[in-house]
Amino acid sequence: MQLKNVIDSPCGLRFMLDELELQSGFARRWLLDSPMMTGDEEIAASYGVLHRFTDFIDRVEKTHIDTLLFKLQGLKDIRTTILNLTQNAVLDDIELFEVKHLAILSTDVAKILRQHDMDGVVKIPALDEVINILDPDGLKIATFYIYDSYCAQLKDLRIQMRQNPDQQDDLLLQASELEEGVRKDLSGQLHPFATAIEQAQIALAQIDVYLAKAKQMKLMGLTFPTISSDGTSRYMSMFNPQVKDALAAHGRSFQPVDISYGMQPTLITGANMGGKTVVLKTLTMCQLLFQFGFGIPAASAQIAVKDEIYFCIGDEQSLEKGLSSFAAEMKNIDAVIKASRKNKKLLALIDEPARTTNPTEGAALVSALLKVLTGCGVSLVMTTHYDIEPGEARCLRVKGFENGEMDYQLVEVQDGEVPHEALNIAQSLGIDGEWINMARNLLESCPVT
Amino acid sequence: MLPFIDEIMRYDSLSIVGLEKNTGKTECLKYVLDRLPVQQKRIAVTSIGIDGETVDQVTRTQKPEIVLREGMYFGTSEMHYRQRRLVSELIDVSDENTSLGRVVTAKALTTGKILLSGPSSASSLRRWMNEMRRLDIDLVIIDGALSRMSSASPAVSQSMILATGAAYSANLATLVSKTTHVVDLVNLELTSEDNIQRLMPLERGLWFIDGEGDLHSLDAMSSLSKDIRFEGMDDCKTLYVAGALVDNFLEKVRKNKSLKQVELVVRDFTKIFVTPQQFRLFIKAGGRIRVMQKSKLIAVTVNPTSPSGYVLDSDTLCNRLSEAIQLPVYDLLKTN
Repeated sequence: MQLKNVIDSPCGLRFMLDELELQSGFARRWLLDSPMMTGDEEIAASYGVLHRFTDFIDRVEKTHIDTLLFKLQGLKDIRTTILNLTQNAVLDDIELFEVKHLAILSTDVAKILRQHDMDGVVKIPALDEVINILDPDGLKIATFYIYDSYCAQLKDLRIQMRQNPDQQDDLLLQASELEEGVRKDLSGQLHPFATAIEQAQIALAQIDVYLAKAKQMKLMGLTFPTISSDGTSRYMSMFNPQVKDALAAHGRSFQPVDISYGMQPTLITGANMGGKTVVLKTLTMCQLLFQFGFGIPAASAQIAVKDEIYFCIGDEQSLEKGLSSFAAEMKNIDAVIKASRKNKKLLALIDEPARTTNPTEGAALVSALLKVLTGCGVSLVMTTHYDIEPGEARCLRVKGFENGEMDYQLVEVQDGEVPHEALNIAQSLGIDGEWINMARNLLESCPVT
Repeated sequence: MLPFIDEIMRYDSLSIVGLEKNTGKTECLKYVLDRLPVQQKRIAVTSIGIDGETVDQVTRTQKPEIVLREGMYFGTSEMHYRQRRLVSELIDVSDENTSLGRVVTAKALTTGKILLSGPSSASSLRRWMNEMRRLDIDLVIIDGALSRMSSASPAVSQSMILATGAAYSANLATLVSKTTHVVDLVNLELTSEDNIQRLMPLERGLWFIDGEGDLHSLDAMSSLSKDIRFEGMDDCKTLYVAGALVDNFLEKVRKNKSLKQVELVVRDFTKIFVTPQQFRLFIKAGGRIRVMQKSKLIAVTVNPTSPSGYVLDSDTLCNRLSEAIQLPVYDLLKTN
């Protein structure tokens, strides 16, 4: 699975990508194409490199960082050119220019990093030989044409052109044949470096991405996670950067949440507007950020690596497929159950399953789902409003409405009994009193559990 | 040497705008390029038109290649770069694609011919001009087609030359009045710096600023919208049209009593698509139109020959037009 497959997940991952200050379009494409990491060592190594870059940003003067970032803006997508070179095609002037531009750029970037003790943190192949081929006069500037020094005859023709402008067309024709010969020769000389050029291009994209991630960590106050070895993920003061920003715009602050979950199913209950969905979205986003090597929005985080991550949110209608919200949800959850039988490490985050159907069948579906997904290698975190038997599940509850304010903290409770606060909350929202009071009277005359 | 060459050198950018095909825009560009002091100044030239044929498809007349002199910089599309007839050194290849490939920037190492077809969007033109500044270019010349196909506006340049002629209208009086109208639009004054700062980033919609200085959005997509209502706008000081300004809208503003004192702001003169009649009525009623970017109009050139072969008298045309617009008018073919 690549980042581009999950970028529009309803968990809100796109916000983090949009806020990432990448310098080049190529780095963005490379990042979106990168596969999700599923190995402990791979993830640890990636964070090791990111650590070096956050440290680099902290200790190196801003002007040097800015120079490096400015250089990286010059990174272009020259994959077509590299492919042509690999296939032994004769490159034209524009393609030769692109190769030279990249070679000089990667040499410059490598030099800046070397000066600041970052040698080899991201391996950039040396392309000095490529520069030599395309810079016969040793000018060390990233411009290109078929230089006079490639061919004495060509040089003569060009002198004649300047002297006899009236014969220009004829002379240009003769010159173009010589130029084509030079291009063929240069392409032949460059062919063995095709792989190194490709690697250099990717290395520059990686550096761009690491720098952007490092800057984002500082800017948003993100943390480096540690890798959990016992299958339990633990977050202290986890926050959602997007919701935090939106609240800040209205002069309000986000209340961070502590949460942990393991292989035992976790059931989250709580009042409406208690932030259950935000918790689930943030957990999903954190897991994805972790497996794509980003900083984590929490004070501290210890996260278990998963093979697959499922986020099912009830109100996701699938209009294109012509499915109702209920049908779409059932299909999504069905995919989790099918995957759970493949002996993989799964994380499933399910928001209020079966909420759009009648409460009797809904509660039955949720109870059964809990049983089906227990003990088969699935880390399950599920929110619900239904009163169900928790069985082996661990129950967390949003503290809820206290003294007119919502407390979003999660507390562990012994049973899954759901709070009955809907009417109080509706009242605090200023909803029509006749409606709410009638509902209250109905409850009192005929209590429902 | 004609006086306007000296004047051009006082600005960092020049656009040459043809009011119609075959009004002599390319002749004017050639004329300027031939006379600029290439040895002392770094000059870059590009085009914001996107038509790529060597022969004009509409009128079947030859669309000439531009002759660049050694040392000049130029921006053109990949396709036209490959067809160049000069020796040149590649300096930059942009990321942006036009219909003819990416925009390539290069320096001419010999004199020779090239077809120009540069950036076609406002943002890519701005980026290209910034890139030229980075290369220490003294003067950027934009071959500026007035085309609705391209969102790039020639009004980003500091100075401008307009090319008009019999192709725009074969009737002398009509030609003079139509050209005068465009000159009036080009010469519209700039709005306040504060307005420019606030309104420039708004690329679509209708907006107004009230007496308190607060910015509000009007509930309409553009000035073309049918049911625009100016309600609650008694305190409106500035009315900004981000896109095109059209007749109906201008008439509505003129007839609305509460908008008598309003300053109407558009991006630049290329966004104004109103008839001379409506424009005059608006100005006569005391209306004000201001722009956010404008070029200093240096001169107007004329081509008295229409593509159909009809020829106006050059001297009469130059004199009549010059009198109407109070600016020098040249027939470059005749001057040559």
